Amino acid sequence: MSIAPAELSQADIEQDVSVDRPWITLVWNDPVNLMSYVTYVFQTYFGYSLEKAERLMLDVHQKGKAVVSNGPREKMERDTEAMQGYGLWATLQRDD
Amino acid sequence: MARAFTRKGERFVARLDDDERGVVVWLLEQTRELLAPELREPTGDPFDDLVARMGLPRLKEEGDLADEIPAAPRDPALERLLPSAHRQDPALAAEFRRLTEHGLRERKAANLATAISALMDPEGDKVRLDQEQAQAMVVALTDARLLLGERLGLRTDEDSEALQDRLEAASEEDPQLYLAAYYDFLTWLQESLIQALMGR
Repeated sequence: MSIAPAELSQADIEQDVSVDRPWITLVWNDPVNLMSYVTYVFQTYFGYSLEKAERLMLDVHQKGKAVVSNGPREKMERDTEAMQGYGLWATLQRDD
Repeated sequence: MARAFTRKGERFVARLDDDERGVVVWLLEQTRELLAPELREPTGDPFDDLVARMGLPRLKEEGDLADEIPAAPRDPALERLLPSAHRQDPALAAEFRRLTEHGLRERKAANLATAISALMDPEGDKVRLDQEQAQAMVVALTDARLLLGERLGLRTDEDSEALQDRLEAASEEDPQLYLAAYYDFLTWLQESLIQALMGR
């Protein structure tokens, strides 16, 4: 028994020819998460300094979103999943 | 009267009476119920069962009605707890969900269970958490507040600020007054635990 491989999406194909273009993880503002908690998550998960974590948290709060990490797609998928695990509103996309 | 979390040596300690612990446990249980991955009956086919456990979509069989019956709309609270991970590409969002949702739901449910157990095992009125339990609790309180926030219709920062006025007005005609009060209580409890975890 075997399973046919899933069709590659257009994005997968493009990924192969543009490996240099990094992906980003974004965290979006939401009305529930506390400013202190968002800072705590950025420090705890990414190991960012208090200063950097607070700056990113303020960007989320005031500008509506912040890029919290960048790198290869697989890493951004892990970061997004981790942020969602903490209850933050995280998404990923190609940097453009 | 409840006393918020403070750090005592290696422990994080709060004072919550039976009623207060009961409310928090109930809210965490509601959240766990929403999040726990659906239990699927074993089919007897080892491969099908393996696929089901992995959280992958079941292979469709010919004549499967699943194609014709539209899926029930997802609870918006679930949508908030497990949001779409791609804003521009629905196909990538669906793929991400397929790969991560089951694991995320399992981990969130396990985390809520850890927090519930800690609350069910107080010393008198004292809830004492070690580092691991405190980390589970702070995330569990987030998930419960996300669920309550969705039920209270909190969509913007202004909505959250207006909640305070709603509590002060304390209108008996506000059917969501209890929910708003519970939300406020969880916020207070969570804030104290975050401050204690951050060593402030």
